[in-house]
Amino acid sequence: MMGHHFGVPFHRELQRRIILEALSFISSATESGAVLKIPITWAQARNQAKALGLTEEQNR
Amino acid sequence: MTVASDTNGGEIRQLRPGLWETVNERYPGSMITKSDFVPLATLSVPLNEARVTFVSTAGIQPRGTMPFDTVHPVGDYSFRRVPSSSRPDDLEIHQLKYPTFGAERDLNVIFPIERLRELVSEKVIGELTPDFFSFIGYNMDPERLERTLAEDIADAVCEQRPDLALLSPA
Repeated sequence: MMGHHFGVPFHRELQRRIILEALSFISSATESGAVLKIPITWAQARNQAKALGLTEEQNR
Repeated sequence: MTVASDTNGGEIRQLRPGLWETVNERYPGSMITKSDFVPLATLSVPLNEARVTFVSTAGIQPRGTMPFDTVHPVGDYSFRRVPSSSRPDDLEIHQLKYPTFGAERDLNVIFPIERLRELVSEKVIGELTPDFFSFIGYNMDPERLERTLAEDIADAVCEQRPDLALLSPA
């Protein structure tokens, strides 16, 4: 989602995964201009964050 | 367009052929026309030795620095250096063109400075450049953008000798 390219607030694992996917893709790239679409939706990310109960307080 | 899958199940799309023509057709005059093909720059060192930088259009800047001009009719063609050692509380957002409700709670959703430091600590990547770089994406003169801001950032990034640059829109 616009303004949330690395996932949802406080979802460290998702933020980390998105970076790692990019780094892995860069490392193995064979063609300029290729785009990797990660199979996760904004709705799934939000639901994961809700299920994990991610809040500011837990991350301070 | 060609479509394939990576080993993690992600879908890889090759969008380069015709990409710029499509953008310019849908948003006339808003994009720099690129007819030349940008060759792939392969990573020259192992990832765990790579010096990584981050460049973002999110309008992130250290508190106390000159705010981006977010209301100028043709945009702001300057950039800010953001020390990669910054704490999120040291930084603020000056940009009106994207929803910041998530970033206001956790800056890492748009500027993952803490996640990148963690990857250095875990030796997934080698190190970070002293500075990251940020500007605002609202710039209505693409020729000026390419001639000034893009060149200025490219020079500043190259001075810090990264092996790899992550570029992120906002």
